Amino acid sequence: MRWLRFALLVLAVTVLQKGLLARWSSKPDLLLVLLVFFAIYCNTSEAIISSFTIGFAADLVGSPIPMGPQMISFGLFGTLLAYLNRVIAIKRMPFQALAIFVTSILTGLLTHLLAYITGEPIPANIYRVVFVTSLYSSIVGPFLFLPIAWWMRIKTNRFRR
Amino acid sequence: MLFTWFMLTGLILLFAPQDLTSKCQLAFVHVFRWPLSIGSELALTAQTRQVLTDAPSRSETQYLNYIANLEETLDKQRKKFEKLYKLYNTYVWEGTDFVLADVIPVTVDGARNELTISCRKTKGLVKDQFVLGDECIIGTISDIFPQISKARVALVTDPASKIQVKIAGLTGLKYIMKGNGNNLAKVEMVKNEVKVGRNVFALEKPGFLDAPMVVGRVSECKRNQKYPALWDITVVPACDVEQLEDVAVIIVNPQK
Repeated sequence: MRWLRFALLVLAVTVLQKGLLARWSSKPDLLLVLLVFFAIYCNTSEAIISSFTIGFAADLVGSPIPMGPQMISFGLFGTLLAYLNRVIAIKRMPFQALAIFVTSILTGLLTHLLAYITGEPIPANIYRVVFVTSLYSSIVGPFLFLPIAWWMRIKTNRFRR
Repeated sequence: MLFTWFMLTGLILLFAPQDLTSKCQLAFVHVFRWPLSIGSELALTAQTRQVLTDAPSRSETQYLNYIANLEETLDKQRKKFEKLYKLYNTYVWEGTDFVLADVIPVTVDGARNELTISCRKTKGLVKDQFVLGDECIIGTISDIFPQISKARVALVTDPASKIQVKIAGLTGLKYIMKGNGNNLAKVEMVKNEVKVGRNVFALEKPGFLDAPMVVGRVSECKRNQKYPALWDITVVPACDVEQLEDVAVIIVNPQK
């Protein structure tokens, strides 16, 4: 695992998520796409480290949600996905899209639940926001896997028979 | 073991004082303000092309709000003069200071509505001070970070926001306007039906606001589900917050 490339990638995606995408009301969660990628294509310990790191980056730009909920939810579900990948290989695009969708919904709900525990109000349209974000992420996510794999020098073997 | 340590770190962050963790978030925004501002400018340029031709321009909206505020201020002062039978010698904004601040990207994603402002001087800023944008109230100060010259503004559409308001046409009646997320706010259980388009004014608050100021306009008025004799009003902000580049914080009776 090339950690310097990983750090640069996470930083770039974080700035993109907070800057260019911030003004769109409905947008994919690129950090979550990164989470699923590393959970699928790295070994378990690397997946755990990368999941929590990406969650920390999401917390940094997650204002007004306080820090902590996204690190916990990304780390938890990223780890679970990494263990699941050991049993069920998630290599094909439809399965990757499904993994992104389910992970996004679960992390979104857990994030808002943990934020509620710390005193943040739960907005009325939380389900719509989480669903729309998950949908956009699952549509866009699988197509981003190849450029991420190229940058990280990871072989995806997607088209190998 | 790795998982346990990371989870513990996450829990520590979760239960750490929010003042401390907010500083980390703002520090990130402060360090990367240049790439973040480039991204937001590009997004603004892309959105500008999609503006409807019949939508009022920003300067037109500003003038309309300015006129509405002047009329309300004038009406209030006339009543005061008639009531006290004294010479009118008090300009409403006498003793008031304004702090100008630049806007850093707005978070209007349906979940929370707030923005971060960068001001050269944070002296005199306190929580709950009203913030002006395009001659109308857009929100209140929720957090101040003097070390990095930044402050956070909770918009009136934020779910945690509650402001005392009055509605044009309903004299003498005060209501609480609550943020509804999604760039809207609600005033519930109004006694009378209100026409769409009426101005909604934030009421004066001693130490924070000397005269009512426009905060939004009525966009919808429908009957309350639980009490059909009462009405629920949906309010849209009086200005497009996403177009704002700078705001002004109202400081009443600043300490010299």
